[in-house]
Amino acid sequence: MHAAHHSTPQLPDRLCEDWRFGAPHKHAAALAQMMRGCTRRGTITVEGADDAPGGWSVHGVRSIGSDALLALHQAAEGVGLYLQHDYAEPITITCETDGVYTPAVYIVARAGVHAHIIERHICRGEHSAMVCARRIVAEEGAQISVELQEEGCGTSRVLNITDITARGACVRHLTTHANHEWAREETTAEALGNAADIQLFSANRLEDSQMLDQHTRQLHSNRGCASNLLYKNVLDGRATAVFAGNIYVAPGAHDTDAYQSNRNMLLSENATMHSLPGLEILADRVRCSHGSASAPMDAEQLFYLLSRGIPRHQAQLLVAEGFLNDVHTRFQAE
Amino acid sequence: MADVPFQPDTRGEFSYPENHKFDAGYGLTEETIDYICDAKGEPDWLRRFRKDALKKFHELPMPYHWAPEGIRDVDFDNIRYYLSHGVPPRKSWDDVPDDVKRTFERLGVPEQERAFLAGVDAQYDSETAYNNMREELSKQGVIFVNSTEGLKEHEDVFRPWFGKVIPVGDNKFSALNHAAFSGGSFIYVPKGVKLKQPLQAYFRINSESMGQFERTLIIADEGAELMYMEGCTAPKFDSATLHSGVVELVALKGAKIQYVTVQNWATNVYNLVIQRGLAMEDAEIRWIDCNLGSKLTMKYPAVVLQGRRARGEVVSISLARDGQDQDTGARMIHAAPETTSNIVAKSISIGKGRASYRGEVNVLKGTPGCRNNTECDALLINADSRTDTYPAITVNGNASAVQHEASVSQVDEEMLFYMQQRGLTRAQAMSLAVNGFINDLVNEFPMEYSVELRRLIDLEMEDSIG
Repeated sequence: MHAAHHSTPQLPDRLCEDWRFGAPHKHAAALAQMMRGCTRRGTITVEGADDAPGGWSVHGVRSIGSDALLALHQAAEGVGLYLQHDYAEPITITCETDGVYTPAVYIVARAGVHAHIIERHICRGEHSAMVCARRIVAEEGAQISVELQEEGCGTSRVLNITDITARGACVRHLTTHANHEWAREETTAEALGNAADIQLFSANRLEDSQMLDQHTRQLHSNRGCASNLLYKNVLDGRATAVFAGNIYVAPGAHDTDAYQSNRNMLLSENATMHSLPGLEILADRVRCSHGSASAPMDAEQLFYLLSRGIPRHQAQLLVAEGFLNDVHTRFQAE
Repeated sequence: MADVPFQPDTRGEFSYPENHKFDAGYGLTEETIDYICDAKGEPDWLRRFRKDALKKFHELPMPYHWAPEGIRDVDFDNIRYYLSHGVPPRKSWDDVPDDVKRTFERLGVPEQERAFLAGVDAQYDSETAYNNMREELSKQGVIFVNSTEGLKEHEDVFRPWFGKVIPVGDNKFSALNHAAFSGGSFIYVPKGVKLKQPLQAYFRINSESMGQFERTLIIADEGAELMYMEGCTAPKFDSATLHSGVVELVALKGAKIQYVTVQNWATNVYNLVIQRGLAMEDAEIRWIDCNLGSKLTMKYPAVVLQGRRARGEVVSISLARDGQDQDTGARMIHAAPETTSNIVAKSISIGKGRASYRGEVNVLKGTPGCRNNTECDALLINADSRTDTYPAITVNGNASAVQHEASVSQVDEEMLFYMQQRGLTRAQAMSLAVNGFINDLVNEFPMEYSVELRRLIDLEMEDSIG
C-alpha cells in the first residue's frame, strides 16, 4: 500500500524545481483536470510515409517534472514511423483537435536514413488542449530533422513531452509556438554511441498574456558526442516565458562538446523572461558553455529602419523577425 | 593524474584543550536560549525575539528540494550552541587568555593588525576574545564592536536595522541564527567618513561539535566608505561542526562597502552562511569571496539594489578538493531603476571535489535601465572532478539588459607540456596554470590577501613535488 502510494507520481507543486516559475498549482492542475474530465478527441494523420499501426508506445518516455501528467496521458491514438530508407520529400504528421487530445508520436530512423519530418499540432476549439508524448530514435549514421509547429487559437493549452535518442546519429529538432494561451515543452535529448550530434532549436513570438514554459536536457552518456541548443524568444504584451535548460555530462563521457544558448528580446514593459541555463559536468576534457541574454530591441537596428522611412511598428516587426529568422536559418543549414 | 598538486592548507588545523566557563550543551531548545541570554546578560525583548525565532526555525522546512545532498547530514541536535570563556573582549593582546592568544598568534592575527589593519575583532567559539580599533577612528565616531556589545551600548543604531536586511523568517538558517546568534561584528561608519585601512574579523572554532552563529551588521552612513575582511579557520575534529553566520550590510546614499571573506574551515565544517547587503541611492556593495575550506559551503552573497544607480558586485573564487562541496554563487535583486551589477565567479574542482555556481539575478517590474553581467568559469583538474552551474535570471520589462555566460574547461595539456619541456615539474606547471586562471580575480583582493593566496597555492604545489 505504502509502496504503491510512492510509485504514483504526484502532480508538481511549488517545490518542484522543474516547474520553477511555471506556476504548477495553476497550469499543471488545470491540465490534469482537463485530461481527467474529458473524452479525448482529435485526429492524427501522416503523409509521405507509412504509419505502422499500433507501432508506438509512450512507455518510458522521459519527462522533465511531468511524470504525473504523463501517467494521465494514456495515449489511445498515435503514429509510429519506422524509416528504413531515405526520404527525398518531407514527411508530414498532422494532429488536430477542438477538444482535449493526447496523441503519441514515435519516430525511428534506421541506420543511415536521411529524412525531414514536419509535425503540425493544431488546436482549433476554444479552450482546447493537446498533450503529446513524442519519442524520436535515430540509429547509427542516420540524419533526421524534425520540425514541430504548434498552432493555437488564443485560448488553447499544449504540453509536449519529447524524448530524443541519437545513437551515433545526427538529429536536428526545431519547435515553434504560435497563439497558445499556455504551452509547455519538455525535451530530453540523449547523445549516445559514436559521435552523435544533437541540435535543438526553438523560435517563438509571444504576445498578450501568453505563457511559454520550455525545459530541455542535453544528456551526454558516452564520450565524444556533441550537442547544441539555440532557443530564442520575442516577448510582447504581458507575455511570460521560462527557459530552463540543463547539460548533463555523465562520468566517463569525456571529450564532449555541448553548448546552450538562450536569447530573448523584450518588447514591452510588462513582458517577463525567466532564464535558467544549467550545466552539470562530471567528466574530463569537455568543452561546455552556456549563455543567456535578455534585452530590449537593439536601438541602432531600429533607428536604421526608421531613418529609411519605415513606420515604427513595422520596423519593430522586421527586427523581431530577423532575430527569430536566424534560428530557422541555422536549423536548415546542413 | 598521480601528482595532484593541491594539498590542503593545514596551518589552521590545531586546537587547544577546552576551557569554557559557559557551555550550553548539545541541541537547541528554549532552555538553551535562556542559558545563552543569562550568560550574555541580555534584555527581555531579545530573549523573546530569540524564542520566536526558534519557533520559526522549527516551522521552516529544510531546502531539500534544491540544496546539495550533503545538507541532509547536518544534525542540529549534535551541535553545541554556546561556548565561552566568560571574559569580556579585551583591548590588548596581553589580557587575552593564554590559549586563545596562542591560537591567534599562530594564525598571525596580531602581526597583521600591526602591519595594515585599522581594527581587529577576534572571535573564539561563541564570543569575541579581542577587539581593538585605532584611536583616531573612535574619535571620528566609528563604532567597531561585537554584536553583543553593539546591542547593549548602541541599541539606537543597531536595533532599527537588526534583522531588516535578512528577516527572521527568510529561511531556516536565518531563523536558526536569529535564535542562537553570538559574536560577529557591529560596525557603524558615520557620514562621509572614509576608512583608509581595512577592519578585520577573525573567526575561530576551537571546540568539537561547536556551532558558530555569528551575526554581523555593518552600516555605512551617507558617503562613508569601508573595507571589512573576515577570515575563518577551525581544527578538524571527528564530529562535524556548523558555521551558520548572518551578515547584513547597509550602504546608505553614496556609501561604499567592500566585504572580503577568505574561508579556510577544516573539511568537516558545514559552512551555511547568509550574506546580504542593501544598497541605497548611488551606493556600492562589493562581496569578494574566497572559499577554500569546509565540507559543504552554501553561500550566495546578495545585494538588494534598493536605490537609483546603486551598484552591486560579487567576485568569487572557490576551490573544491576531495570530499568538498563548494556551492557558492551570488544574488542580485534590481529593485530600483538604473541599477547595475556584475558577478564574476571562478571555481576549481580537484580530485572528487564538486564546485557549483548557483545564482539569481532578478530585475523587478518598473525598474528600467538595469544592467547585469555574469561570468562563471570552471576549471576541472581531474577526470572525476565535478562542476555545476545553476543560474536563474528573471527580467521584467523592455528597458533592462542582462547577460550570463559560463564555460567549463580543463588545463590545456599542450600548455602543461610546454612548461614541462622548459624544466618545470608537472605540479609547478599546474600551479602556474591555475594561478593564471584565477589571476585577474586574485588582484581584486587586498594586497596582503592576494599575496597570501598566491603563496598558498605555490606552497601547496611545492609540498607535492617529488
